[in-house]
Amino acid sequence: MFLTRSEYDRGVNTFSPEGRLFQVEYAIEAIKLGSTTVGVKTPEGVVLAVEKRVQSPLLESSSIEKIMEIDGHLGCAMSGLTADARTMIDHARVTSQNHAFTYDERIKVESVTQAVCDLALRFGESVHDEDAMMSRPFGVALLIAGIDELGPQLFHTDPSGTFVRYEAKAIGSGSEAAQTELQDKWHSQMTLREAQTLTLRVLKQVMEEKLDHHNVQLAQVTPQAGFEILDEVRLKEIVDAM
Amino acid sequence: MNSFADRFSTTGTAVEQRRIKEYVADEEDVSDSMWGSEAGFGTIAHGTPNFMVPTVPDPSAFLRLHTDDHADPSCRIKIKHGTTTLAFRYQGGVIVAVDSRATAGSYVASGTVKKVIEINPYLLGTMAGGAADCQYWETYLGMQCRLHELRNRERISVAAASKYLSNLVYNYKGMGLSMGTMICGWDKTGPAIFYVDSDGTRLKGDLFSVGSGSTFAYGVLDQGYRWDLTDEEAQELGRRGIYAAGHRDAFSGNTINLYHVQQQGWKFIGNYDVSEMHYNGPTGTAGYGYGVRVEGRSSANPPA
Amino acid sequence: MPDGSYERPQQRQFNPYSENGGTILAIAGADFSVIAGDTRQSEGYSIQTRYAPKVFRLTERAVLAVNGFAADGNMFVKKVKQRLEWYRHAHAKDMPLRAIARLIQTMLYAQRFFPYYVYNILGGIEEDGTGAVYSFDPVGSYEREACRAAGAAQSLVQPFLDNQIYFKNQTPAPGTNHPTHLPLPDVLSIVIDSFTSATERHIEVGDGLEIYVVLAKGRSTQELASIGGLQELSTRAEGDRMFVIRRDLKKD
Repeated sequence: MFLTRSEYDRGVNTFSPEGRLFQVEYAIEAIKLGSTTVGVKTPEGVVLAVEKRVQSPLLESSSIEKIMEIDGHLGCAMSGLTADARTMIDHARVTSQNHAFTYDERIKVESVTQAVCDLALRFGESVHDEDAMMSRPFGVALLIAGIDELGPQLFHTDPSGTFVRYEAKAIGSGSEAAQTELQDKWHSQMTLREAQTLTLRVLKQVMEEKLDHHNVQLAQVTPQAGFEILDEVRLKEIVDAM
Repeated sequence: MNSFADRFSTTGTAVEQRRIKEYVADEEDVSDSMWGSEAGFGTIAHGTPNFMVPTVPDPSAFLRLHTDDHADPSCRIKIKHGTTTLAFRYQGGVIVAVDSRATAGSYVASGTVKKVIEINPYLLGTMAGGAADCQYWETYLGMQCRLHELRNRERISVAAASKYLSNLVYNYKGMGLSMGTMICGWDKTGPAIFYVDSDGTRLKGDLFSVGSGSTFAYGVLDQGYRWDLTDEEAQELGRRGIYAAGHRDAFSGNTINLYHVQQQGWKFIGNYDVSEMHYNGPTGTAGYGYGVRVEGRSSANPPA
Repeated sequence: MPDGSYERPQQRQFNPYSENGGTILAIAGADFSVIAGDTRQSEGYSIQTRYAPKVFRLTERAVLAVNGFAADGNMFVKKVKQRLEWYRHAHAKDMPLRAIARLIQTMLYAQRFFPYYVYNILGGIEEDGTGAVYSFDPVGSYEREACRAAGAAQSLVQPFLDNQIYFKNQTPAPGTNHPTHLPLPDVLSIVIDSFTSATERHIEVGDGLEIYVVLAKGRSTQELASIGGLQELSTRAEGDRMFVIRRDLKKD
């Protein structure tokens, strides 16, 4: 096994005899090094929460940005090599604006997720006149939350370009324990408030540091206010009530 | 060998075919505009829109021949034209007022045109010249402003937005675009107005009027404008400016649309019928027309 | 000259456009929309055909009427239909009416420097169930309206619609108001009268009339029961319903 691996994991566009693309699989492994990120869908909206690893007391925690707005009705949380996510999120933003310009309507959550995933496999050698995109797969997974005519939705994307819809999903280093906890505690009639508390509880369990309003970030997408990142005051209130 | 020579020749059938391919390829591009995440974005799939151009030596002369109704009133394609617009800056923000008439030649193509384009909740653009040029590019500008906001976590300034538009249309200079617009808004610097047109002009100023009725509107504005107007006075000045143009300019009229830009964004004040303003005024008590001021004053104007 | 040369310099122009006459109109009601066009196609003073449709069904709830140069019009409709199909594949739903309206703007404007010589009127039902009409100029400026006529007899028909639909220059009887929306039978009468009158006074209008009627979901079809020449186009009885009424116009 070790031998086959070492021979077939060099090229990003080479299948192993068992039919695997090792570089893509390694990229998926890279996400497990990332900070834990949790998303929960409820009938009232979707909640996203991330752990911000503050490695040094001199680090300004407010400069860590792991939840980003795609459009008024769409948000995104990431885990893994977050620098890679910038490209993907900019593509998502441009796609959703192009959609709004061409069709005078908000893009669907699934469509924007599909757009992000279209980028995922544009690595390797470029074909004749096509622009070379990237030398390696993205090393980041995203949780895309949004609301459209089908209601609140949460999608998970990985470096292979696969996307799946979830009721609740955890990614990153603590994802296994977190996912088990979500499976235990999630129910279909959750309120937004319950979801906020649940995501923070799950993060608290997997985090090494003591959870406070500086080392987590919470965002939500609701039909009323759209996407919003909760400010420190609102976050502190939820943390304190937990 | 021959094909190699053909590839670099500048005459003959090969070059014709190549040229046709070049132009047609743009539109029939089957790669990204059809499939994947750019599915159906058509001409804007690759960032800025690309346009189909006729395969003639002088495309803008072709366009002028078929669409310019000032040069030739019998030309086939009559593009709708917009007419009187005004905007001014004062202590309480920006007042934007426009008429609603669109003419194709001498035919009143529409009396209900929205000549104020709501770029986003704090930016307005006005429409004079080609209706489609203004509508399309200002909507496009709205999209770019939103992207600026997402990328920089800050609203775009009026100066930057207007410069974006000005640079955009300057790329098409001489190709036949017709656009005279005022970009109005409120940013960190306070209320602001920029005049932008399809020649590439971009001016910052306190007071502008654009369109065939602008001379009449300027007459009213210059006479009544002060920095410290109250909101009510300012709105009334805007309304009267467009009324004057609607009254004296045949290409302007129908109704007035009035907007007020304040710190928290723009607000639609109302839609006023020009004839109604002439006879009864905005409150229904006193018309703008001078009929009331001459009635019963001379033998030519006997008491009603 | 005998040698085949010319006495004076000759000027030639690229003229890819022609004008094929005919008229289209559309009227929006509270929960329905009516889109109509005659079927005569002419060039100069000769009639090329007495049946060339100018009104096309796009989706279950959208109809597009195209007037001007027929070749451009037919190509444009074909391309709009292609884009609607792609959209269906990409987003797993039919394109809403206002989205079609914006799409048509971008498609027309893409030809800003080589315009389609077409005047479009789009009619149908919006997502909120209201009847809507959008009108376009050849390069894509558009607005939503209650009614619009375009084509050869525009200047004959539009003033009539202004008077009958918008009640322009009509004063309501004391103590009454003009209705905001007319009932379907009144609208159909106005459409038919518009075309019979335009046929009388415009040489490029006549032969046949096609009236598309789109009814919002759940609306009664009762008022159409007594209409002659009616054909249902909708595939499902539960959603929005679409009908076409075909009539003859004078053929001289």
